[in-house]
Amino acid sequence: MKHFSLSSTAFDPAQLRRALQHPGSGGFCTFEGWVRNSNEGREVDGLEYEAYAELAMVEGERIVEEAIARYGIIAAHCVHRTGQLKIGELAVWIGVSSAHRDEAFRACRYIIDEIKHRLPIWKKEHYLDGDTSWVACAHTHRAHEHEHLQAYEQTSEPVFVPDYSRQTRLRDVGEAGQAKLAAARVLVIGAGGLGCPVLTYLAGAGVGTLGIVDGDRLDASNLHRQTLYDARDIGELKVQLAAKRIAALNPTVTVQTFAEPLHAGNVADVFAQFDLVVECTDDMRSRYLCNDAAVLTGTPLILASIYQYEGQLQVVTAKPGAPCLRCLWPQQPAPGVAGTCVESGVLGPVAGVLGAMQATEALKLLLDLPRPVDHALLLVNLLEGSSQRLPIDSAQGCALHGGCIEVARRALTQALEERAVDLAFDDFDEAIAAGYTLIDVRELDEISAQPLPVQARSLPSTQIEALASELALGRVLLVCSTGRRSGHAARSLREQGMHNVHSLAGGIAAMHPARDHVPG
Amino acid sequence: MITVTLQYYAQLREQAGSSGEQLTTSAASLRELYDELRVRHGFTLSADALKVAVNAQFSDWGRAVGEGDTIVFIPPVAGG
Repeated sequence: MKHFSLSSTAFDPAQLRRALQHPGSGGFCTFEGWVRNSNEGREVDGLEYEAYAELAMVEGERIVEEAIARYGIIAAHCVHRTGQLKIGELAVWIGVSSAHRDEAFRACRYIIDEIKHRLPIWKKEHYLDGDTSWVACAHTHRAHEHEHLQAYEQTSEPVFVPDYSRQTRLRDVGEAGQAKLAAARVLVIGAGGLGCPVLTYLAGAGVGTLGIVDGDRLDASNLHRQTLYDARDIGELKVQLAAKRIAALNPTVTVQTFAEPLHAGNVADVFAQFDLVVECTDDMRSRYLCNDAAVLTGTPLILASIYQYEGQLQVVTAKPGAPCLRCLWPQQPAPGVAGTCVESGVLGPVAGVLGAMQATEALKLLLDLPRPVDHALLLVNLLEGSSQRLPIDSAQGCALHGGCIEVARRALTQALEERAVDLAFDDFDEAIAAGYTLIDVRELDEISAQPLPVQARSLPSTQIEALASELALGRVLLVCSTGRRSGHAARSLREQGMHNVHSLAGGIAAMHPARDHVPG
Repeated sequence: MITVTLQYYAQLREQAGSSGEQLTTSAASLRELYDELRVRHGFTLSADALKVAVNAQFSDWGRAVGEGDTIVFIPPVAGG
């Protein structure tokens, strides 16, 4: 079917609308572009569109086809006028019909933005003062949701049309399910061992928008389990590498990148932009922060974590009465209590298994596939090849402390107050110039392996509370490899009333990201 | 004395050197049982940092230990 046409005379939208009616369509969205009476402060009397018709037809057709593939809509058509137009006349008409409204809106937006940006059409404006000028329609380029990855898109190559037949063949998925995926917005926090399979499967499945949060750069020690990357990528920001790989895997997916970890000040706002969040970091603080934001914004959250040969998986649906992470472990464990990959080691495919399970849970929620009605913590032991599903009783969790929402609100408020604890500096000299006394809280063997480039007192985090009285009175900045131990120590000291104590956000790794990165 | 089946996850598995064991104990409650195990295996985590489940259901630490129970100790883990 032809999806795009040029018209040198006025046309009837009602007829175009009828042609898009389809029994499977539950939503119809239209956009009309009209000639207005001014442009950039000058009064306009009318205008004249001139198109490079052959190219415009090919490119227009391609744009509408892209929108159909990208958003899984049922039908779409676009007409662009050429020739003389008066004020108020219809210049562009776009109609989109689809199973659901969201993809109709988004496809419509996509088509008009791409038309404005890519079509070889010029307009000659006739001004009231008798003057005229030619304006290229593509001059108003600005970044839209689908254009974040413009740099990675190979626009000169043939347009890729994804083939989702292997999953749409599933009775519970079908074309309607595919449309749900195309309209879905999923945030993946952490592009590491768990995040790599999550991103790969969700991009492959055709999830419309993927947000990626990760502040780390790729380290050689990541490669055994982080399958999106290769040896040439070491030292690069993971969010950028992941975005590039996703663009190569499925160019129809829109990627939004966040190169800084989320914090208490923005986490709820970011969550509100997504339908679902998958937490894939190795950071307990992130897990609890995400849990609280998910509960407060009502955004479903899929949590997983791994330890050596094992993993845990929990889906927080964030529905009233459903349990959350704090229903199991009410307080965030102190560093060292919860084992991490850096400290305890992990077999690469363990991350792959748990990440693939997270991706499965995400697709189940997005597609509304059958899921157990109760809520559970799933324990997976890959040494034994066993798994155990432990139902969570919400009545025994946060319900005893005011309910998940109240607990989350209190925790997020506290986290906001604590934000003042973590300070970011470009280098150590800057911190010293700002009047901070540096205290290195790493263990002695770590310090000798990687000494600080400036003078700092050594006071290991394991002893710092006992030696609190020896701390300087002025501004104190605790430093460790990643900011975790120093952050925890600073918070403990503040609880003892020492509000002069701060922690270097991101630790030494944040100072020399390419060279001294400590892998996550 | 009663006999129970114990399963260890994550740090506990590592410190115990096995995924589980059968144990005959006189412990009255799960908390007492865990205290006994801390001595036996040198577990560094306190009970408050853990979840415990009996016969595939999360449980209270005050619960009595029953003959033939399968008891699972679960620490929070952070790897990703």
